[in-house]
Parts: sequence; structure tokens; C-alpha cells
Amino acid sequence: MPIGPTRRKQSFLWIAFCLCALAAIALFFIPAFIIRPFTHQSPRGLVLAMALRQRAPLGTLIATVSCFALAIALWNLVDRWRKSFLVLALLIVTFSAIMSRQNYFEWMFHPIRAQQFLAASDTKLDAEEMIMAVRIGSDARAYPIRQMAYHHVLNDVVGGVPIAVTY
Amino acid sequence: MWTRSVNGRVLHFYLAGINNQNFLMRDQETGTWWQQITGKAIYGPLQGEALDLVLSDELTFGEWRAETPRGEVLAPVVQYAKEYDSNWEPQVAKLPVVISFPGTELKSRDVVVGLTIHGAARAYPWETLSRQSPVLDRVNDTPLLMVVGPDGKSFRAFVSRVDGHDAEFFLQANGGVDAGPKEKTESDKKTESKVKTSESKKDWALLDTTTGSQWNFQGCATSGPAQGKCLERIPALKDYWFDWRNYHRDTTVYTH
Repeated sequence: MPIGPTRRKQSFLWIAFCLCALAAIALFFIPAFIIRPFTHQSPRGLVLAMALRQRAPLGTLIATVSCFALAIALWNLVDRWRKSFLVLALLIVTFSAIMSRQNYFEWMFHPIRAQQFLAASDTKLDAEEMIMAVRIGSDARAYPIRQMAYHHVLNDVVGGVPIAVTY
Repeated sequence: MWTRSVNGRVLHFYLAGINNQNFLMRDQETGTWWQQITGKAIYGPLQGEALDLVLSDELTFGEWRAETPRGEVLAPVVQYAKEYDSNWEPQVAKLPVVISFPGTELKSRDVVVGLTIHGAARAYPWETLSRQSPVLDRVNDTPLLMVVGPDGKSFRAFVSRVDGHDAEFFLQANGGVDAGPKEKTESDKKTESKVKTSESKKDWALLDTTTGSQWNFQGCATSGPAQGKCLERIPALKDYWFDWRNYHRDTTVYTH
């Protein structure tokens, strides 16, 4: 029995939906899987992760919008089981699109948004505590390693020179 | 530490990931990815660019405060105070290492002080440095002086030249008796720990064999013919061996 136009249309819509969903999911989950702590990153794996992560915000947005449009087109053509599958897939795709625009590393290690400084005489640091120190011009600043080991990076200006303090 | 200006443009960095346990950062302006330990842009519009290293110290607060009484200290962020774990170093030392480099006596999480001189990288095991300080070395024909401070925890690296001539330095022991760089016995260590009072820290000084001048931990001569002169500082980084070796493939290791 030849496949009618409706069945052909459904097949096309399903294929398109799956491709868009896979693209959205891959754009977030592949980099997230590669760049994770306590695992080895190969040079090629790292490049792939960075390339996908760079394109993920726009890519997942396009893929997600497409998925929703395709799901709407499919909705009245499918049974309730396939409707459930569509909903589940849309949830995962939406999750990917949202997470592609989040920096979850900063959920783990919050950045310092507006740093404050104390005079050396006003701090409560122990004399044995390790610090990173810099002197540029007349400015001399110390960054306790215990704090920088958590925040990891701080954008500062010392002696008029913009610097990145990293640990 | 790195400067944040590239081709006249000031960048703002944020934490963006991790690469074999060294963190990655991105700049807000272009989205380029940068490796923290090397300061190099590894992917994105500015790929190939490199940040300039800022000369900095890793010191105890006590040592820094003595040298810089009018300095400023980064204030802790109150809402994250419980995240600032004072015991973080031993805890991190227990974490698994995902990359290793057999072939040396160094273990992955052994601490080294690393530096590069005209492209040549060298690692000084911390255990060796703290035992033998001051350490005289030569890398790429540059004479080096590696010094652990009077507190036993701060360190600095200098070019070991005075008035353009290579110089040798020794630690002035208590009582004015010169003590050259030597292996310390257990008895020496016990004696040393007893006299490590604030008074002995104040007496700490290096002597150079060329002029006989006294030098402080900042690498400046405080008395003698070289008084007022300072040695050239070299940036040096305290790091785990596996991390230093991963980003400095041709590094040599100081052994004595």
C-alpha cells in the first residue's frame, strides 16, 4: 500500500523533530560531559567542547524553537504515547537551551562582583596565612589564597593597570 | 596574575571550565577561551594571543605585612565565608589526579616552584628548596637565586647578578656566622625550629660573596658596598608537579 501524503508528512516531521532535538541536546550535553572536573580532557575533546559551547546559546535556541514548531505540527497527527514522547523531548530540549546560557561553574565557585579591600592593619588574617601579593606603582595589594582558591578569578585594577588575579 | 589588556582592549574574565584540573576562563568581550596557567587564548576570536604576566609573590601575610605595612587586603565576601575553607590544601591534595608523568621521582601532587627563563622551564621541588634555601642554579645561562623566606613558607626567585656580575649568596646564620647552602641534618632542623622566633626572623639576611653585602628577602642590599641595590626578580609559580609538567612539556627538574 503506497504511503499517503499524510504519512509522508508525518515521517518528515518526525525526522526533522528528532534531528533538531538531538542537535539541541548535543550542543549542551557534549561539552558538559567533556569539561567536567576530575576527568582527563584530550586536546581534540577540549576543542570540540569549546566549539560546541561557543555555538550553543544560539544553536540551542534555533533548535528549540524548531522543535516546538514541529511538535505543534505533529500534535494532532499522533497518539497520546507519541504526544508524551514529544513533551518529554521538549522538556529536555528546553533544559539544554536554558543551561547553554548559564555558567554553572559560577554556581559552584561564585565570582566576586564588587571587591572590597581592607587596610592590612584592619584584617583578621593570621600571620601564617598564604597570600598572593602584587605591587604596581604606589598600589600594593594582597589576595588571600584561601579566598582565591574558591573564587578562582578576580578582575582588578592595581596602580591603574587592569589585572586578572587567578588561582 | 595576568594583565587584562590585549591589543589595547581591556578584557573581563570569568570562570568557564576546567582542562585537566587547570581552570579555563573566558572573556566577556569576545567569548575567547583562555588557559589559566599559561595566560594563552586557546580558542575563539583571540586565539593565539597571550596575556602578559604580572610579577607577583606568594607569601605569608605576616611577611607581606612586614614589608608592606600600608598595603590593602582583599576583604572576604561575607555570604561566601563558609566556602573559604582554611583546610582546603590538604583536602585538595587527596583529590584524584587525571594526568600523570612517570619518569621522575616527583609524584603528581608534589609541590614545585616553577619558572621559565627565555623559554626554558625549570621546576624546583618545594621539599628540596625549603631544605637547601638559598639555592643557586643556572638556567639558559642565567644565574638564579631561589630563596625561601624567614617564615619558611614564602619564596622568591631572582637573577643572581650584582652590577652585571654573577654572584653567589649564602644565608647569614644567627650570631653572624656565615652558613652556606647545605643539607640540614635532623639536629640542625630541631635547632632551627627552636630559634625561629620573630627576633631571628628579623635577623634573617643573605650575604653575597662578591661584595659581602647583606641582602633582605626582597632581594635588596641593606648594608655593605651594594647597599640600596636590588636583584632582578623573576616570576615563579608554586604548583603541583603534574600541572606544571602538563603545561611545560620540556621542563627540567632541579636536583641536588
